[in-house]
Amino acid sequence: MNVIQIAFKEMLLSFRNRRTLFFMLAFPLVLMLVLGTALANAFSTTAAMDTVRVLVQDQSSGAAQQGFAGFRAEMEKSGFAFTDFKPGMDGAAEVEKNNYDDYAVVTNSGIKLYGSDRNAVASNMTQGMLSAYADRYNAAAAIGAADPAKAATAFQPAPSGGYVKELSLDLDRMPGSMDYYAVALTVMIALWGAMSAANLVNSEIRQGTAARLVAAPVRKGEIFAGKVLGNLAVNMLCVLVVITFSKVVYHAYWGDNLPLVLLVLLSVVVLSTSLGLALSYLLKSSASGGLISLAVQLASFFGGAYFPLGVVEKNSLLGIAASLSPIRWANMALNNMIYLGDSTQVIQTIGLNAGLAALLLAASAYMMSKREGL
Amino acid sequence: MNVLEIQGLTKKFGNFVAVDNMTLNVKEGEIFGFLGSNGAGKSTTINMISSLLQPSAGEIRILGKDSRKHSRHAKTNLGIVPQDLAIYDDMTAYENVAFFAGLYGLRGKLLKERTEEALEFVGLGDRAKSRPSTFSGGMKRRLNIACAIAHKPSLIIMDEPTVGIDPQSRNYILESVKKLNESGCTVIYTSHYMEEVEEICSRVAIVDHGKIIADGTKEQLKAIITDVKDLSIELKPGSAYSLQSIGKIPGVRAVNEKEGRLSIQSDAAVDNLNRILKSLMDGGAEVKALQEEEPNLETVFLTLTGRSLRDQ
Repeated sequence: MNVIQIAFKEMLLSFRNRRTLFFMLAFPLVLMLVLGTALANAFSTTAAMDTVRVLVQDQSSGAAQQGFAGFRAEMEKSGFAFTDFKPGMDGAAEVEKNNYDDYAVVTNSGIKLYGSDRNAVASNMTQGMLSAYADRYNAAAAIGAADPAKAATAFQPAPSGGYVKELSLDLDRMPGSMDYYAVALTVMIALWGAMSAANLVNSEIRQGTAARLVAAPVRKGEIFAGKVLGNLAVNMLCVLVVITFSKVVYHAYWGDNLPLVLLVLLSVVVLSTSLGLALSYLLKSSASGGLISLAVQLASFFGGAYFPLGVVEKNSLLGIAASLSPIRWANMALNNMIYLGDSTQVIQTIGLNAGLAALLLAASAYMMSKREGL
Repeated sequence: MNVLEIQGLTKKFGNFVAVDNMTLNVKEGEIFGFLGSNGAGKSTTINMISSLLQPSAGEIRILGKDSRKHSRHAKTNLGIVPQDLAIYDDMTAYENVAFFAGLYGLRGKLLKERTEEALEFVGLGDRAKSRPSTFSGGMKRRLNIACAIAHKPSLIIMDEPTVGIDPQSRNYILESVKKLNESGCTVIYTSHYMEEVEEICSRVAIVDHGKIIADGTKEQLKAIITDVKDLSIELKPGSAYSLQSIGKIPGVRAVNEKEGRLSIQSDAAVDNLNRILKSLMDGGAEVKALQEEEPNLETVFLTLTGRSLRDQ
């Protein structure tokens, strides 16, 4: 009962502390909105294109002219606009003036294309399309030369759907910026629990209430357990609020297995509370608060909370720093589970966090038992 | 019956002996004054009684039971009012008292009653829903007391409960201590204000260098001092004099001045009154009144320890 009472007191004090509410709730939600909106393009896998404007001077004849007309008609259905060259025009100058993205000269012996660096993407697309057409025309011409009866078939448009079936080069669902930051920043605030945990004992000493707690008929173990439980509950509630808000308001995607997501986050909260407590006992001063703040910020930075790290070389300085960040472990595990359905890393992360937390809690409990007072 | 018995209590911090083989008994119903200068071992003793520190040697018995072997019994019967405020600023007065009382096993209706009773007792009944951050220093001190009494302990230890508060709050607290005592609670009271101890304590122990150097009723302690006389000399406003010159007169042990009144402790065996008056008049001072006073606890403390309690 004393444990529950002390835990409830911790929760009451935490939720009445404006600093806690700001850092654990307002700050991550605002940061999620800012980063998620500002870096939306960096996470996008598609790019919108305007119509590609091509100036065409068709000097071909016969089968080549017929073939190009068919190609042109098809391409106009896919966002290309072809304009016929008029006498007196200077094609290259027109592209230079940005009146057209490309200038193509079609002859019986081939196609010349004038592109523009200004519209490199459009030019590359036109070049790709024309190259594909030219290869097909050459192939059809070769077939026609060998067997004129089959030439007409070779010039027919490709069947609908193409010759290659793309099964899955891209995932069914990729994380958008808001999805990414919802996960990353929630993991980050779960780790921030270390800062409040570092203050659990020191705040009682600073307020003088440690004397009253120790003088009461309550075992030190009950005080310890109550404080740990209270801190876990506060941090986990903050995590739940952030998840709910990001899901409902920002429409962030958390996957289909929310209980397992919560279990990973709970393991991070347990680890952070244990870490904060252990450091506060080890350092025995307010310096522990500063050190933990620094460590948590570095872990957030190298763990990809502020920007995605992607694939990093394991032996590089960044790779080593990232591998030491609990935020990185949890981020990777959660993203693998949410987007690949692979929960292997989730189990490993929960195990690692729980193991480290058990060691740190045992060390804290030992140091507390050896201390006079709290 | 002894509420508190201390036998051979010792506390060492490395080679430093903070409390040295102390033996002391506090009887039921007493308001026991515990006097000592800073570093005398007073707070260390209180912290050992309160279980905040473990003794290096010796025994503490509360209501007849060893406080280490029967820790829960000892703690349940003890209330502590620490010198530093021990309250949560972000919890209301009611929540503060109820939280600490709850740790002593009070629950439900009884907890509510006792919490309200404690707050009423210290005059904070109408501020139960306010947070201590909105309180004056005196109100915070009173809340500090309420947190220690809601579980109705048999023995309350009050460590400097009136430090830094206004006279009105101080009087309120002193009256509260007397009322607590009248209701059957034994009190151990420490203070730097000798007049408080003189006013409320029925028995006093003086601690110096970790040992009790005197222990008894106020009258018994004052009776120790037979070789000192206290002179009180009131001077006319604007009188000039030299405390240094008076201090050099044979037999004079200490001279203090407060609001135009000189307080002089002198050897009783030395007849130096004429020399003191001559020294004052030579300097141009005019004496308005002169009185030889009974020795007080301040004199006793000064004589026994060689230091003034207030000057620590």
